[in-house]
Amino acid sequence: MTAPALATALLPEIWLSGLFALLLTLDLCWKEERSTTLGGVAAIGLLPLFPILAWQTGLGRHDLLGGMYRLDLLALFFKGIFTAATVGVILMTREMDRSIPRGHGEFYLLILSAAFGMFLAASAASFVMLFVALELISITFYVLTAYLQNNLNSLEAGMKYLVLGSLASGLLLYGTAFIYGSTGSMQFSAIEGMMSSAQSLSPALLFGLLLVIAGLLFKAAAVPFHLWVPDVYQGAPTPVTAFLSVGSKSAGFLVIFRIVQQLFIGQNAQWAPLMVWVAGLTILYGNLGAIPQRNIKRLLGYSSIGHAGYLLIGIATASRIGSTAVNFYLASYLFTNMAVFLVIAAFSRRVESDEIKAYAGLSKRSPFLAAVMFIGLLSLAGVPPLAGFFGKFLLLLGAVTEGYLVLALIGAGAVVVSLYYYLQIVYTMYAKEPQDPSPIPVSLPIRLALWVCLAAMLGLGIWQAPLLKISFAAISGS
Amino acid sequence: MNPVTAIILSPVLGALVLLAVPQRREDWVRRVSAAATGIPLLFALWMVFHFPRGEAGYHWVHRLDWLPALGIQYQVGVDGISLTLLLLHTLCSFTGVLVSYRIKERVKEYFVFYLLLIGGVAGVFASLDLFFFYLFYEMAVIPMFPLIGIWGSGEKEYATMKLTLYLTAGAVLALIGLLAVYAVSGAHSFDLIFLEHFLRQNPIPVPLQRWLFPFLLIGFGVIAPMWPMHSWSPLGHAAAPSAVSMLHAGVLMKLGSYAILRIAVQLLPAGAYTWLPWVAGISIMNILYGGFVAMAQKDMKFIIGYSSSSHMGYVLLGLACLNPIGLNGAVLLMFAHGIMTATAFAAVGHIYDQTHTRVASEWGGLARQVPFIATAFIMAALASAGLPGFGNFIAELLVFFGSWNSYRWPALAAVFGIVVTAFYMLRAVRTGFFGPLNPRWAGLKDATAFERVPYLILLAALMAVGCWPKLLLDLISTSTPSVLSHLSPLKTVALL
Repeated sequence: MTAPALATALLPEIWLSGLFALLLTLDLCWKEERSTTLGGVAAIGLLPLFPILAWQTGLGRHDLLGGMYRLDLLALFFKGIFTAATVGVILMTREMDRSIPRGHGEFYLLILSAAFGMFLAASAASFVMLFVALELISITFYVLTAYLQNNLNSLEAGMKYLVLGSLASGLLLYGTAFIYGSTGSMQFSAIEGMMSSAQSLSPALLFGLLLVIAGLLFKAAAVPFHLWVPDVYQGAPTPVTAFLSVGSKSAGFLVIFRIVQQLFIGQNAQWAPLMVWVAGLTILYGNLGAIPQRNIKRLLGYSSIGHAGYLLIGIATASRIGSTAVNFYLASYLFTNMAVFLVIAAFSRRVESDEIKAYAGLSKRSPFLAAVMFIGLLSLAGVPPLAGFFGKFLLLLGAVTEGYLVLALIGAGAVVVSLYYYLQIVYTMYAKEPQDPSPIPVSLPIRLALWVCLAAMLGLGIWQAPLLKISFAAISGS
Repeated sequence: MNPVTAIILSPVLGALVLLAVPQRREDWVRRVSAAATGIPLLFALWMVFHFPRGEAGYHWVHRLDWLPALGIQYQVGVDGISLTLLLLHTLCSFTGVLVSYRIKERVKEYFVFYLLLIGGVAGVFASLDLFFFYLFYEMAVIPMFPLIGIWGSGEKEYATMKLTLYLTAGAVLALIGLLAVYAVSGAHSFDLIFLEHFLRQNPIPVPLQRWLFPFLLIGFGVIAPMWPMHSWSPLGHAAAPSAVSMLHAGVLMKLGSYAILRIAVQLLPAGAYTWLPWVAGISIMNILYGGFVAMAQKDMKFIIGYSSSSHMGYVLLGLACLNPIGLNGAVLLMFAHGIMTATAFAAVGHIYDQTHTRVASEWGGLARQVPFIATAFIMAALASAGLPGFGNFIAELLVFFGSWNSYRWPALAAVFGIVVTAFYMLRAVRTGFFGPLNPRWAGLKDATAFERVPYLILLAALMAVGCWPKLLLDLISTSTPSVLSHLSPLKTVALL
């Protein structure tokens, strides 16, 4: 297949930049009060990306821009995830507009800029591009996290994220230097060719790989690089937390997958045991840490650590089932987590609290929100027939098939633990009496988004074949 | 339409229809629920009478390819054992809906969860695919949480959480076992029919079977409930609303022993030989410990709850025999005990709704005030104590016969257990229903004509099986030999 024209391959990025420019102009021309319209423009402007991405799947796999940019199914799959996440986050931001003190227009711009970084990360085919992409994501998120200037929690979260994030960037860069030093190339394709012929890896290269993985595990929120998660999740504005959990985390896993499984193919013995340990510890830490939490965003922060652990099972198994499972899990996690955060956003617009006890009697105040939250939490816990279940099922199947029985048992046991803290929220919503019985209105865009998430959670959980096929194509076609 | 699929789908679709029914049209909510559970009952009855007796294997199999790449297919069907249990389930769920007509609070939500629970349980009994088996199993566990949490009584928050976590813990342990069977069998299939044939030709190595069997045994044993993992169950029964207790003690607990029989014993026969003698030993603890604890209870629901876990000991003992008589007895007992305990819970619930106390000694003389309910309860109590004429008598007798040769001591303990049962059941009847009427309950209302229907259905079923056990035993004994045929070649090897 001949390489497509550069403009064709880069069409999603070009579209995104165009949208960015449009929003920038509109933000300059319009008054601050019209920011919700601005958000609407951004959300609608993102929608054409879906057909563009779908059309690009027919283009095949190519390395462009002198080997810096890769067009393949894996990248397109994840760009789809990022687009959907961005739309959800923008809708959430529109809902929470009032809680952002100033700079509404810039907020949307920053979200798009982070999305752009994620797009680049999906297509990065050299360490240089990768670093630029990840920095674009990180720096945007530092600003977004600390956006609530009057809120100490938000500022603290931003600071914490900045300091620890810079450390992670440093690790990544240092590791890249070692890899470059021992292979003489920054490009994935060149390194890949070298690896497949290499008998063993030099210690410098392994060390470099270790550092790179460490930098990426930070993005993925895995132990021992998880320390920022609870504070940042709690302190950041809700849309940012949601974006961190579905966007930034997916980007981290995509890159880990690319580097660990595709670049260092055939070297499983070197890193698989490490991943198994990290996965087990991450699952345990996240799920046990979530038990005593009283703040729902903080709880979701811990649970997000737990989910990172599950995803690492898929990376550790390095099998077809495991890798397919990672993609499936991330796609279902997108809709599930988005549903939960949309409910939180819609709820906190009316009740300015993220404490779990504020959710008492939600099923009477808004049966719809409570039902979506219920189903979302069950899907997070991995209860059939919801999307989250099938992802976990595949991961556990992968682990058992590869003989990681203890890891599978930890993963299975953590389902019980997670059910405990998720069901406590459910109990609060359904069985406790509300302090203030006034109904909670849900705006039309949020309602629509929630229906989409609901349909996806049930649809992907019951009829798994299409997404499974796509997830498999994404790992094998690249 | 395949009748088995119809039995599973009808309640699930009913739940979906309910979502569209307006909240305040409670009469419609009830009618839809009754229809959604009544139709499966009719299908189950039809299948019982049209079952090809004497033809082993699965019937009315319905198969749809689901994920061929992973060897997953939607596959349901029944043999004599699962059909018996489906009949029990449809009986209990339909009468459960009728009993739930008394629910006044958040009616629509209640029936939605209740119907989902029913669909899940039906799916477990009918599944012939390990993936869907697990899927339905969890679907049956989760709706219990809101059902007990919202409409329950007493220590409901603790009880419902404990129940959900115990059952999920068992489920995921069993899941790992199932996945391991999938991985080591080399068949790359979750198809139960196929696996049965495949593993007969290419059995899993014996040491591995011995390793894997406990995963399934303990995993499913939690819901069975096997001692010492039974403590969730009386607590859950006591906290749940009546109809949920009915389904819970009547049907849900049978999932465990059914799963052990259908999956663990059939797929890992060598593991069964190693571990089932232990189960026979544990069944003594179930029977006697459960029985003694029941003797010490004052709350009626706790008495029946502990009695249930005691009687599930008989089922486990019957399973452990691994001979046709014991197995037939175990399955028949699952049926008979399910009906009996559902009747008892319904009766206790009827009185509790008016008295708001379940302590037997606070009732007193209710037989005069609510003669119909009292009669129903007394009949259930007598059935439980093994009075001839009720299904329980035949079933327990078969279990004794089956276990006498292989497990003499457990069999003796089981016989003694009957005395214990008779003691606490009759005492409960005496303190609760006889003696002078407690003046506080002078206004107590007996069941109306409509409210009598569920009791009449249940007791009729129980007595029909008691007087004419062939009705179900023919079904059950059609299928027990094929379960045991997995074991017979092994037995010769073991003897050699």
